[in-house]
Amino acid sequence: MTVEQIPVTGRPGRRPAPSPARTAPAGRPRISMTGRRHRAFYLFTAPWIIGFLLLTVVPMAYALWLSFTTYDGISPHWRYVGLGNYSELFSDPQTWKSLGRTGLFAITSVPLSIIAGLGLAVLVNRPIKARGLFRTLLYLPAVVPPVGAGLTFKALFDQNSGAANGFLTLFGFDALGWLADPYARYVLLMSVLWAAGNVMIISLAGLQDVPRELHEAARIDGASAWRTFRSITVPLLSPVLLFQTVTGVIASVQTIMPLLLTPDGTTAGVTALPQSNYLYMMHVFSQYFALGRYGYASALLWVLFVLILIATGLIFRFTSGVVFYNVDPEAKK
Amino acid sequence: MTATSLPPDPAPRVRIRVHRLVLYTVLVAVTGLFVGPFGWLVLSGLKTPAELAASPVHWLPGHVQWHNFADAFHLIDFLGYARNSLIIALIYATLVTLSSAWVGFGFARLEAPGKKTLFGILIGSMMLPQMITLLPTYLIFAKLGMVDTYWPWVLWGLAAAPYLVFLFRQFFAGLPRELEEAAIVDGCGYGTIFWRIFLPQSWPVLSASFVIAFTWSWGDYIAPQLLLSTDKSTLAVAVMSTYVTSAGTPVANLQAAASVMYVVPILLIFLIAQRGFVAGMSTTGLK
Repeated sequence: MTVEQIPVTGRPGRRPAPSPARTAPAGRPRISMTGRRHRAFYLFTAPWIIGFLLLTVVPMAYALWLSFTTYDGISPHWRYVGLGNYSELFSDPQTWKSLGRTGLFAITSVPLSIIAGLGLAVLVNRPIKARGLFRTLLYLPAVVPPVGAGLTFKALFDQNSGAANGFLTLFGFDALGWLADPYARYVLLMSVLWAAGNVMIISLAGLQDVPRELHEAARIDGASAWRTFRSITVPLLSPVLLFQTVTGVIASVQTIMPLLLTPDGTTAGVTALPQSNYLYMMHVFSQYFALGRYGYASALLWVLFVLILIATGLIFRFTSGVVFYNVDPEAKK
Repeated sequence: MTATSLPPDPAPRVRIRVHRLVLYTVLVAVTGLFVGPFGWLVLSGLKTPAELAASPVHWLPGHVQWHNFADAFHLIDFLGYARNSLIIALIYATLVTLSSAWVGFGFARLEAPGKKTLFGILIGSMMLPQMITLLPTYLIFAKLGMVDTYWPWVLWGLAAAPYLVFLFRQFFAGLPRELEEAAIVDGCGYGTIFWRIFLPQSWPVLSASFVIAFTWSWGDYIAPQLLLSTDKSTLAVAVMSTYVTSAGTPVANLQAAASVMYVVPILLIFLIAQRGFVAGMSTTGLK
């Protein structure tokens, strides 16, 4: 949308009034205050609106078009195949298996990291010595970029030189092939939990907003610490937890950690992933990078897009009754 | 708040001591679990390849191989890759912070028909996995000849990031109305109000946003891998894929040393900016 299209003095259903600038006697144009604010709003939001159209809507539409073709980027003989890619992907066992793994990964990693992050937040919200230091150290892994985290976990779970196997053998157990099936999925899960500081820091901000009077009242009424936590803290934090759930699910869909944990560690090695870490996005990558099937990969992406829309819709639907907003940001003004 | 303190805890002092002991033990153990992995990476970077291949595990390096860090630095054009990462991150973080503040101001302080819908789309687009748009975006950039240039990061920067827009919007919405009223009476435009009045007020959010965006860009692996050829690529890509022998097997100790050098700048930036960062995060108002 361009700025020129915006009616300056908005009277719906009528021709726009003659430009006040032309009739104004001299000096600055006399647009009404509301008119100025309307125009300014679009002027201010324009970078995002234009960016969203060009960098999100157009690529998505392009991917939709490609998903009906056999385009591979090289061969000039690509053709329109209608829903062919879609019918192929639905009958592709890898689609279903990788989708199932992604679902399982999201269902385990998201609640676990929310619980871990909330637990950490409660822990470092207590009056302890060196609180700032503990908070910083616990948050630190969340700042480590994916490549750093991937290599860290590779070093930690290496068959020979890894500390994990070091501890196992120290206590008389056999060393495990952590980065292969069936253990690779646990390493993936641990690498996600390692960044629980992200949840911690946001939960901590939420915890500090819980009015202290509520806790004190509950204590005086004889409620146990657990009861207070469950009945006061968690409901008050519920919007934060909902936000964490939704962003967590989306992050788990686009995790590239499995890729970084492979010996090769590049997109070319995506087909050599351990089965248990062959997530849906890895399936997209393998079609895209290893096989160059842009059309088919685009269809996979569109299916994922629709599934995410459905999943977030369901999350909002099922939490609408339990999420408690004490401040409505829209109502503040 | 009034000074109503809790009634004194009747529990004997010993119980409080035990309680504190348990608390600190848990705290230290958990912190160890979080810091330990990175410590292990540092240790791996100080060992010889033989020690890394040996079984059982060599817990500590026999002779600390400090030169691994120098070797990792010289084996590839480390400085060149670091410079590429830095340029991209600076371009992106600066532009996206300014554009997001600009858009955030619009959503926080101005009204117009369709605002609610637009805000809904903005929030909704936060939930759109970037990876989904990245692959088609790459194909479009390739057609436009923007592959192997830093233009995509300029465009992404100019387009504002929904998460940061939200951050700024929450902050700006909390500032008092009087701030702009006097300026409007004086005939200032909203652009001036934004630059002269709101931006100077928002240092905590500006620095938080800059650090977040810088960290995203520095840590991003897939976009530079897709869009940039080897010599123009970033440290994230180089650390992952260039520490290999001629036979193609990774040199684990040098790779570990290199990834320590890749991660430490981000940790330092975070530690320096931490105060503003946490302040910025707590104004996001996810409450």
